[in-house]
Amino acid sequence: MNSERIEFDAVVVGAGLAGAAAAMVMARGGLNVALVERGQKPGGKNYFGGAIYTHAIAELVPDFMDRRPPFERPVTEAGFWFLARDGLTRMTVQGGELNADPADAYITLRANFDAWWAQQAQEAGALLIPKTTVVDFLRKQTGEVVGVVTDRPQGEIHAPVVIICEGVNNLLAQKLGLIDHDLEPATLALAFKQVISLPMETINARFGLQDEHHGLAASVLGDVSLGLPGMGFVYTNKGSISIGLGMMLDQLAEYRLRPYDILQRYLDHPAIAPLVQGGQLLEYGGHLIPEGGYHAMPKLYTDGAMIAGDAAAMVNALHWEGTNMAIIAGKLAAETALEAHSRGDFTARVMSRYEDRLGEGFILKDLKQYRGFSRFLETHPQFMDVYPNFLNDSLGQFFSAYGKPKKELFNGMLGALTNRRSLIRAAGDIVSMARSVMGW
Amino acid sequence: MAMKTGDAFEAKELPEDLKETLPDVYVDDLLMTLKYFIDEEATHLWIKDVNVCARCEYKPCLYFCPVGVYSLGSNGHIQVAYQSCVECGSCRIGCPYRNIGWALPRGGFGVAFKFG
Repeated sequence: MNSERIEFDAVVVGAGLAGAAAAMVMARGGLNVALVERGQKPGGKNYFGGAIYTHAIAELVPDFMDRRPPFERPVTEAGFWFLARDGLTRMTVQGGELNADPADAYITLRANFDAWWAQQAQEAGALLIPKTTVVDFLRKQTGEVVGVVTDRPQGEIHAPVVIICEGVNNLLAQKLGLIDHDLEPATLALAFKQVISLPMETINARFGLQDEHHGLAASVLGDVSLGLPGMGFVYTNKGSISIGLGMMLDQLAEYRLRPYDILQRYLDHPAIAPLVQGGQLLEYGGHLIPEGGYHAMPKLYTDGAMIAGDAAAMVNALHWEGTNMAIIAGKLAAETALEAHSRGDFTARVMSRYEDRLGEGFILKDLKQYRGFSRFLETHPQFMDVYPNFLNDSLGQFFSAYGKPKKELFNGMLGALTNRRSLIRAAGDIVSMARSVMGW
Repeated sequence: MAMKTGDAFEAKELPEDLKETLPDVYVDDLLMTLKYFIDEEATHLWIKDVNVCARCEYKPCLYFCPVGVYSLGSNGHIQVAYQSCVECGSCRIGCPYRNIGWALPRGGFGVAFKFG
């Protein structure tokens, strides 16, 4: 050996939301932590809608508002936009809980937010090692993980515990045997978006927002995804709009659709085009979202290692949750690592406490409850096609004066639905949706 | 109905009137907004077996890649513009033959989102 052995108490793979959370908690617990990031800096590989939930941030950094997080706007209005072929029905809520200060959720851009989040871990004492890709594990002959191998020369980092937060492409989890197959296209949404620059005042006027301290987060259903399973989104940043959509990868492949064509069609929609008109494209990009839910999760631990965040499929697709799960899971893995250090036992017996901790909180409970939802939209395409169009047509009729008796009008509205789907089947759809959400 | 793989892969078609509503976007205009640290020495994407691509009837990789990494060369071979890759992983998983080799770029290389 001509080089000195690099040794830490713990290694975290990936300085995203889960990884930096894990590093933060372990460093505060007194461990010597290496936080390894393959990008130039944390956040550089990450792409999302999106909004960050403060309940998760506050659990790790209670005084987060004093630390000037790079938030864009608070979410003060949230809801659904139902897009028909040439119309739009908006169902959003504002006021009440959405007026809380600090807000429940803040719209963010990941390149900024993740850098700030990792900085909290660094300030707690973790060592950030950027521009370094982890390619394998160091393992004892008996299999226990005792560190990682990076792509740097002499790039072995020894540590009795490794927390894997590698993101959706879970190559390391596969290498370690936490899951015995690669991801499946039907469990993945490919999300793609544009960040479009607009003056702050223009955004406020177009979206009906009082000032830059008010923001909109909308999920867009219907025509946005060509009637196929998928969901669009609109988020108002301070001086830009994040707008895009996610569709299932298997369908993009089977229908041979180009994501950027679908996104442009969405931006050209008569109800959307005026919102982004005159804006300048700042960035386009795409990312996979692991939407397979509970059934797609890998084994969460083994001797000397745990896994958290997107790498462990911790996403609740219906509620757009995932960032919060990543943060909390990273924290719980870190607490388990601290327990392992205090006991001097890094075997799966102690690592299994991580799964116990996940089971006590909302993460595993929610993922179990929603386990049927990921298949639901695939088997019920009418939610993307029939209903948004019905909503637009019937509301349009409701608010029109035709000079006809109202009874005829309501019969016509009912007809607009039954032409598309019988009432019995519509009732059935509601029951199946409820089943998939309630976990019945 | 999971996506069929290998020779059993079947392309589907949208209704013609819906398909007509899709614009034809020149993806390079979008890529100009992205920042990359390009690894000039090594690709992180590769075709495992060109014969497999030759018998792949529908070549969905030419479509679903969000940044258009894959194109058809004049020799009929799939060309891989790995420099444009945003490292999403779709090609590795969406290729019906799992014929695309995929690794993470070396540390520090690849896409660097400015906004994300």
